[in-house]
Amino acid sequence: MSDSTHAAHTDGEEHNPFVAHHFDNMGQQAGAAKLGMWLFLATELLMFSGLFLAYFICRMWYPDMVLGAHEYLSKTAGGINTCVLLFSSWTMAMAVRSAQIGKPGSKEDAAKIKKYLLLTLLCAGVFLVVKYFEYSAKFEHGMLPGKFYTAHLHGYEIEGLPHIFFGIYFIMTGLHGVHVLVGMAVMIWIYIRASRGEFSRDNYAGVENTGLYWHLVDLVWIFLFPLLYLVK
Amino acid sequence: MSSLAYLKGKELENPVECHHHVAPVSLYVVILLALFGLTGLTYAVSFADLGPLSLPVAMAVATLKASLVVAFFMHLKDDDRYNLFIFLGTLIFIGIFFGFTLFDMQARDALNDEQRTFVRAEDERNAGNNPAIGISNDPARLAAWEAKHGSHDEEGHAEEEHSEGEKAEGEH
Amino acid sequence: MSEQPASYDLENPSEPNFYKAQKGLKSWLFTVDHKRLGVMYLASVILFFFVAGFLAIALRTELLTPAQDFVSASTYNQLFTLHGAIMTFLFIIPATPGALGNFLLPLMLGAKDVAFPRLNLLSFWIYSAAAVMLLCTLLLGGLDTGWTFYTPYSTATGTAAGLAALGVFVAGFSSILTGLNFVVTVHRMRAPGQTWDRMPLFVWAIYATAVIQILATPVLAITVLLVFIERFLGIGIFDPAMGGDPVLFQHFFWFYSHPAVYIMILPGFGIISEILTVHSRKHVFGYKAIALSSVAIAIISFLVWGHHLFVSGQSELVGVIFSFLTFAVAVPTAIKVFSWVATLYGGSIVYNTPMWYGLMFLWTFTIGGVTGLYLSTIATDVHLHDTYFVVAHFHYVMMGGLVIAFIGGVYHWWPKITGRFYHEASGKLGALLVFIGFNITFGTQFFLGHQGMPRRYFAYLPEYTTMHQVSTIGSYVLALGLVIAGISLAMAFRKSAPKASSNPWGAVSLEWKTSSPPIEHNFHDTPHVTGSPYDFPEIDKSGRTH
Repeated sequence: MSDSTHAAHTDGEEHNPFVAHHFDNMGQQAGAAKLGMWLFLATELLMFSGLFLAYFICRMWYPDMVLGAHEYLSKTAGGINTCVLLFSSWTMAMAVRSAQIGKPGSKEDAAKIKKYLLLTLLCAGVFLVVKYFEYSAKFEHGMLPGKFYTAHLHGYEIEGLPHIFFGIYFIMTGLHGVHVLVGMAVMIWIYIRASRGEFSRDNYAGVENTGLYWHLVDLVWIFLFPLLYLVK
Repeated sequence: MSSLAYLKGKELENPVECHHHVAPVSLYVVILLALFGLTGLTYAVSFADLGPLSLPVAMAVATLKASLVVAFFMHLKDDDRYNLFIFLGTLIFIGIFFGFTLFDMQARDALNDEQRTFVRAEDERNAGNNPAIGISNDPARLAAWEAKHGSHDEEGHAEEEHSEGEKAEGEH
Repeated sequence: MSEQPASYDLENPSEPNFYKAQKGLKSWLFTVDHKRLGVMYLASVILFFFVAGFLAIALRTELLTPAQDFVSASTYNQLFTLHGAIMTFLFIIPATPGALGNFLLPLMLGAKDVAFPRLNLLSFWIYSAAAVMLLCTLLLGGLDTGWTFYTPYSTATGTAAGLAALGVFVAGFSSILTGLNFVVTVHRMRAPGQTWDRMPLFVWAIYATAVIQILATPVLAITVLLVFIERFLGIGIFDPAMGGDPVLFQHFFWFYSHPAVYIMILPGFGIISEILTVHSRKHVFGYKAIALSSVAIAIISFLVWGHHLFVSGQSELVGVIFSFLTFAVAVPTAIKVFSWVATLYGGSIVYNTPMWYGLMFLWTFTIGGVTGLYLSTIATDVHLHDTYFVVAHFHYVMMGGLVIAFIGGVYHWWPKITGRFYHEASGKLGALLVFIGFNITFGTQFFLGHQGMPRRYFAYLPEYTTMHQVSTIGSYVLALGLVIAGISLAMAFRKSAPKASSNPWGAVSLEWKTSSPPIEHNFHDTPHVTGSPYDFPEIDKSGRTH
């Protein structure tokens, strides 16, 4: 760990009440927590990579089918969701920053953290609502995964094996959606803890690591969007 | 409790070593605007006809966006370098997974074309032609097998020894 | 070496040991103490070892005669599948990291606990949930796909494959979180003065294992999730009738499962490093080589999975590349074996039970490793694939390797964990029977496989009868040996069992610098490390310093 002295800290001999018994100081604890979160993100990346691989193989084997089937995904909805998630990444980064500069015990500083967390939650909610509309449209048109695919009965003739494409679409966006939900739950918990005044420049690892998780959710979507919605 | 703090076996000068790189708000705003801009670019480029280049270009733009998020929003640029090592290492292993598997799947694609397997076999069967592999292309064998097991369209569950023998293929 | 104030008596610590520090069932179920979690993992993995072992004895007994004896074919399929699945996911993968790793890692590093104690508890609960799911699979329809779950059978079978897939998914998370915990612990929680080159080799081994756990297990997670989804949604990714490809499943599955076998064996290597050095009182030969070869194995293990797919329809070029890389992964492993032998040379070897297991390991693991080379050569693999040769190979490396190392490790650290000694004579008897039984059981299987006996068959041609019968008798001897080994360990719980001091073996690593069993917070005062854990002091001729 580099010995940075950017933010001068006069904690000195004072015992930080947020340091657990098995750590020597907050630097060690926060560093450990962050390292742990990066390792967890690595596992998430690897898990999604399997799905991306399945997508690439599908695209390699059935390029025309993928081109045809993806026309039925709404670029507008995808685009809105992309912008919403990017914005939510910004609000999350602002929440972390507010925690980093927050004075311990200050209600105004805690309120700033809460404000940005709430904005992020709102964006996540918008994302899920747009997703709901997208999914409803698919269900209505019979564009369902695998053996449930019936779009040809609704008048949509897609050449090839579109049930594979829609299977991959639903699994990828579905797993991503599950991660959005989990992220929202974690943010609510962090919000509650922020209300209790737990976060400040003496203790912000919780907010920071939530931020890391949320940015990963955004990262996955950054790749999902062009691959699923903007095939050419 | 000892008065000295230790980190990774070495004494710390400042017992409370906290890593505080607080970025200015303006930086975050600039990054967000750049991300919006790149998203617009992705969108616009998707209408252009770049042929085989469209996938690499789309991926390049996505990678650039991802790099911005990782470096600035996730603070990786100013962080302990081991975290960067973890991130890049993960990408390398994903690359290994993708590389070998895609390479093999490509070869299997060629094999499938040659052998007319999978869905092409399905198409062929629907069109009334027997697929070029398996027992279906040998009427005598097919008849004998069907006499013993019923219609060959039925999924799975032949009797005893037969399933072991069939399962032995392609395992491990 | 480390220092504790002279006034503090390790043999009569002022605080109670970790068993006594807190009382009641809740204090165990909700503990965040890594030592208690280690003990709970130990009890669990031993239980599942015997469950899966019983299944193995059942299937070996069925193989006494060429014809069907007392199980049907589908029951036989379930026997070997559940033997494999339970052994792999509930015993061998969690055993050393969960039981010995959890117990020893913070002690060896001089830390008070792992980096994330509550995550550690969560790992154990997740493991328990997975165990319940896999055991329910036994009761709710069974599983007959082979532990390898190959599609399209696994997506179509009427047995409880979906529940099993979910159980494996859940077990994977336990593995991931444990690995995560250990990596952070090794990076951030070392005692003052403990640089990377002063860590015990067991720690290096656990660290390399943890890296593999983090990188490989998520791919298993997505693979079994896709199988589960395919069973219910029929996506068609792995099903040729729907446009998918079963070989794709094999790529996905083995991308995890090959590194997984290194998750299994690397901690065993760490145990052997500890046993051979301590019981020969000799500084390890080639510390850097052994430490770095663990990391090298971890990395190269990700490059070789295709050697499970040589005859699956994988392209030939890819097969050749994988074959070459598989030879490469043998090199760091061989470096270790040579270093261990060189360590023993010139040492003051004490032939107690842990050392017996250490020496047994050198024999059985080497055979296992060398026979792997026959399988990584494509030309010979075409003949040996899916025969008993493969079965013998992996049992020699997994059982002859990890299980023997694990038992040896349990004996070696038994005084530290329980505060008492196992019974030496029955320990040696058990080891002897295990060694003899194991070699008879699996040694004959090399010949069976070489002569063409396929694996996973419950009935066979009469020509194979004698060798099968020899193998089965061997398995009974092996089972007897394991039971005796268990009894010799359990003898430590008798009232008359001799108490162990804090450092009965005269070792130098930090876990021996605290009482046996340790106090709840491990060390009364934070230890300071000033040298290698293999600098053994002058010994007396009796070989023990307690």
